Formats: sequence, structure tokens, C-alpha cells
Amino acid sequence: MDDQGCPRCKTTKYRNPSLKLMVNVCGHTLCENCVDMLFVRGSGNCVQCDTPLRKSNFRVQLFEDPTVDKEVEIRKKVLKIYNKRDVDFSSLREYNDYLEQLEDIVYNLTNNIDVENTKLRMEQYQRENRDIIQRNKAKLVCIFPPIHNIFINNDNLVLTGGSFSYGLLLSSEKSDCKEKYIMASLGLVEIQPCGQRCNVSFCNIPVLFPRTRQTREQEELEELLLLEQQGNEQRRLDVLQEEQRQLQAKRKNKQALLDELEKSQLPATILLAQHKVRAAQLETQIEQQKQAVKPTNLFSTGIHMRQTVSLQPVPKIEEVLYHYKPLHVEIDGPPVPELEQLGRLGYLNHVRAAMPQDTAGGYTSALACHRAIQDAFGGLFPQKG
Amino acid sequence: MFHNSSQRKYWIFSSEDEVEQMRYKANQKFRNKIAESGKPGVSESTFLERHEEDVLFRHYERRLLDFCNAFKPVMPKSVVGTAIMYFRRFYLSNSIMEYHPRIIMLTCAYLSCKVDEFNVSSTQFVGNLLQESPAGQERVLEQILEYELLLIQQLNFHLVVHNPYRPMEGLLIDLKTRYPTLENPESLRKSADDFLTQAAMTDAGLLFPPSQIALTAILNSASRASLSMESYLTECLGLKGDKETLSKMYDSMRRMKTLLKKYELPKAEEVNVYKQKLERIHAEFSTSSNKRKRGYEEDGHVAKEPRITEEEWTDEDLV
Repeated sequence: MDDQGCPRCKTTKYRNPSLKLMVNVCGHTLCENCVDMLFVRGSGNCVQCDTPLRKSNFRVQLFEDPTVDKEVEIRKKVLKIYNKRDVDFSSLREYNDYLEQLEDIVYNLTNNIDVENTKLRMEQYQRENRDIIQRNKAKLVCIFPPIHNIFINNDNLVLTGGSFSYGLLLSSEKSDCKEKYIMASLGLVEIQPCGQRCNVSFCNIPVLFPRTRQTREQEELEELLLLEQQGNEQRRLDVLQEEQRQLQAKRKNKQALLDELEKSQLPATILLAQHKVRAAQLETQIEQQKQAVKPTNLFSTGIHMRQTVSLQPVPKIEEVLYHYKPLHVEIDGPPVPELEQLGRLGYLNHVRAAMPQDTAGGYTSALACHRAIQDAFGGLFPQKG
Repeated sequence: MFHNSSQRKYWIFSSEDEVEQMRYKANQKFRNKIAESGKPGVSESTFLERHEEDVLFRHYERRLLDFCNAFKPVMPKSVVGTAIMYFRRFYLSNSIMEYHPRIIMLTCAYLSCKVDEFNVSSTQFVGNLLQESPAGQERVLEQILEYELLLIQQLNFHLVVHNPYRPMEGLLIDLKTRYPTLENPESLRKSADDFLTQAAMTDAGLLFPPSQIALTAILNSASRASLSMESYLTECLGLKGDKETLSKMYDSMRRMKTLLKKYELPKAEEVNVYKQKLERIHAEFSTSSNKRKRGYEEDGHVAKEPRITEEEWTDEDLV
């Protein structure tokens, strides 16, 4: 929109293309300059709704509609608490109800409906589900790579896995740390991510390779890629096997020729001719086999080739075709002669002929005559009924 | 074309009674309005009765006709007809006690000049008020402009009026072309014209289509010259087999003729008496009518300065 601008100083994007709009929790915009000016002391009230705000909570407005920004902010906050996953529910139905509840809360907070009660509801939920929230939070934070071996060397805790080996300096009790690491990897203890290679973390738990959990789509995609790779490998092996077989067949053929040459009583020329025929047959067989490549049954997009995709034709809209009807004017009077026929019927003998200067504009005496007769006949008969 | 015009749709009434009914309602409306405003000293006798209104109406209509006929440059007949028709239509739903016919008639003439493409400037128009001083003409002009929008609104913005003059020309052309039995159709013109002029002063235009009026004028003129034109209707207009339509047409022609016969010029002494009454009413209730006529200004239109001098001139000046 052109009129996107700061409500306070009235600067618009049009006039100042480098205008930076900021949004706070209440969802009202202010430009960067106004924010700097009004919130010199770090906090103040919203110009539009008088909500007390902090300067640090201002975010750059990403969306045209500042309420979207507000919703994103609120959603982030709510999702921190409502972080259950589908595996936490026994049925899909419950999970969906839960999601709906979550959407309700986000909607209420965004549109300032019943804010107090909604907040209370959230707090209550947080208290009731503290454990699950914590666990899911941990799960979301990082995945521990499988550790093959843990041992203590001097003052270091050494962890070794498939592709790594780290020595960690221990400051607290060794056994405790080891235990905690295992617990954390099982998701039983809260841990604070603090980077890849810190020796001792805030709560004495080392965090290795923090990696956010993949989304389900990503997982599925990787699975598909893996399948495809396997398929490719399979095909390569098939081709190799086939070539082997062909080679063997050729060799056998040659061997048979030699054997026959040795044993047979027939003249060598005939045997050779027979061999040539057989060799040619073999060649054509191989050719045929090569052509009949085993078709893949999967597109790279993951759709099975012979999957039945609904290809119903687009429903046709049947319409009655327009039918031209010549215009019929009911004038309640005797029929008026056509404009073109006035001259033939002798009407034009009784009207003043048009002057040459009149005809320059397209006027003919027939026009006036026709109009007069039209007026004379129109409505002449009393209306029926 | 008349057949799909607003005139046919909204301004052709079925009977004289219906027209009279509307005028009666307009009269009552004004009485009720005054009664509601609660002015002291109002009695029934103050108001004009319907027949008194009628006399005044005819008087002012006649004046309108005179004004138009004396107009310089010469006003075409259709302009005059349109002006008279506006005047009639306006007082169908308004009482002459509410809006003074003196100014409405001039406004009607002014508007019809515009609508019928008779190009006169506004100063030229008021220049025809010969008895007025230039300043007086200026005042009249201001009033005309003030009432113009009200008039248009009261006409429901139906400004095209189909007059019987062109249909008459058409019928004459048709007669000359298709009806050689008639030796000299032009001889009918004079008295047919007179008929149309008379018809304009009656309610014929509110009751019959213009072509019917024109045909009646010609047939009437023919019968005066003791010529029978029945065969024209049966042969040329194709009514030979349609007895019903034919009888209906004769019927409406008869009605038209009686309508014309009934018309009488208002008597001067009656006019004078009623006019005094009318002036009293306007003097007494002018504030309320002032408010009404400025109605369009209240709607947020650009308003002119209020008139300082109200109706200083009288219609005696017009003669």
C-alpha cells in the first residue's frame, strides 16, 4: 500500500523509501526515528493505544499489516509453552483439539479479546504441564549424537562417538557430570545450549553439536532420497549382473564352437556358419534385453508411476447459447415505414429538401421526415387493456 | 420516441378525475402544512378553494402563453408547448398557494428554452420583461435561477416533453403521400394549429399521447371544412378490421373535444379577487414557503446569498 507510513510523523514509504517501521507488542507501528525519539528512556506508552512499551521490544515490521507482526510475536511466545507434539497425544483427535485451543489463544491475544482470561489459561496450562514443556523444550533444542564410549583421562571427560572424540575439562565431580550427560541425552534434565565446543557448560553439562530437530517433511524427503539412492544402486548392480551374464554366454558360445570343432564330423565351414548364426542370435537377444530396461516405478518427486491420479475432466458449465432476436419496438400505432423506403414511397416529395450545407453533417431530409412520421404514429392507438 | 418516454410512463393519466384528485391533494397538503406550523389567525376561508386555484392557474397559464408569444426572438411552438406542460406538471403536485405562479411560469419558460435547444442567454430572456428596469430584470433572473432546480426536481427530472406539433407535421406528410383523396391538406393546417394551441391550455397533454392530439386536431379541422376523413383511418392507418380500436379512438377524440369546449377564459373580476387572496397568503406564509423553496440549498448544494428583496415586482409588470 502507498499509504503505509508512521502514524506519528506521517512519513510514508512513498516519500521516504528508506523508512523503517517498527512494531511493538500492541501491534501499532512507529517509524524508527519516532521510536528513538519517544523511547529515549527505554520505555514509554504507545502513541495509539497507550500501552506501556519497552524500547527493546520493538521489532522491524516485516509485514504490510502490523497485526501480522504482532501475531507472529505472540505465536512465538505461546508456542514456547504450548510445545506438545503429536506423539504426546493418544489420538489425532486430541492433538487437533489441542491445536485448536492453541489457535484460539493466539487469536484472542492478537485481537485483544478477553486477554486477561486467556493469559490466566496459559499460566494454568503452564503449571499443569511443566514437565512435558520442559522435556519438549529440551528435545527441540538439540539432539545428542550417539556416544560410544565415555571415559575419564586425567581431568578430562573424553567422549567418543562414530566420528568424534572430545576431551572435556571437568571442574565438578566427574561421576556426576557423566551421569548428567546421559540423563540429558535422554531428555530428563534441562540443559542450556552454549555452543559447540565449550568445555564446561553453565550447568556443567556439555552440549555437543546442538542441532534443531528436523521437521517431518524434511525427514520424509530424506527418506525418499535414500530410497531413490538405493534404487539407483540396485539398478547399477542389475546392469552389472546382466553384463556378466552376457559375457558368460558369449564365452560359452565360443567354448561350444571349439568343442564341436573338436568332436563333430561335419566340415568346419558348416560349423563355423552355424556358430555365426548362433552368435548373431545371441547378439540380438542381448540387444533386446538392453532395450527392455526395467522401468523405474517412482518419479523423482516421490510419486509412484502407476499411482492412480484423479484425472477427472474439469466440470463443464452448460449454458444456454445467446440467441439473437431482432429488436421489436411496440409503438402502439400503425407501422412506420423504414427510413430507406421513405423516398420510394414518395414521402420525400412532401418535405423540404435538405440544403447542401445541411447535408455536410450527414443530415438528410429523410431523417426529419422519418422522425415526424414516427412521432405521428407512435402512441396513436389507445393502449390495450 | 414517445413509446418508451417518461411522458408515457409517468405523465399520461387515465382520467380527468385522477388529475383533479392530484390537484386536490396538493391543495390539502398546503393547508395541512400551514395547520401544522400552527400559525395564529388561520381560517379555512384564508385559503384558496380548488376552483379558485383553477381560475388563477388558467389566468397565469394564459399570461405564460402571452409572454411566450411576445418573446423576441420568436419562440418555436414546441418550446411554448414544453413550457406550458412544465407549468401544468408542476402544479399537479404543488399548490399555487405554496409557490407563486408568477415566478414558476417564467422559470418554466426559461427551462424549456434550455431543454428544447432554443438558445437564449439568461439576460436576453429577462430582457423580454419589457416593463422591468434593468435592476428589476436582474432580480427576476436571480429568482428564476433560484427556482430552476426546484422546478426540475418537482418535474422528477423528466424534462423531455413530446409535443403534438411534430406528430401533426408527420400526419400531414402522411396525408399528402398516402391520401390523395384529400385535395389540399395544407388547408387544414390553420385550424389544426389553433386546435393544438387550445389543447395546450387544457389537460389534454396529461391525458392523451401527442400523436392522438395531433390526429384529433387534423380530423377536427377536416370536419370543420366538412371533409370526411374516415377512410384515412380505415385504409391508411389499417384500422379497417379493428372496430374496437377505432371506437376507442373516436371516444378519446370526443373526450378531447369536450375538454376543449369546457375551457373558458377566466373572468377578470374573479381573477382580481382571487389574486388579492393569493397575495395575502403568500405575504402571510412567505417564511414557510421561503424555507421550502430553498430546500435544495439545505441539501448541501451551493447556496446563494439569501434574497434581500422578496417579490418586490408584481406580475402587472409583465404585461
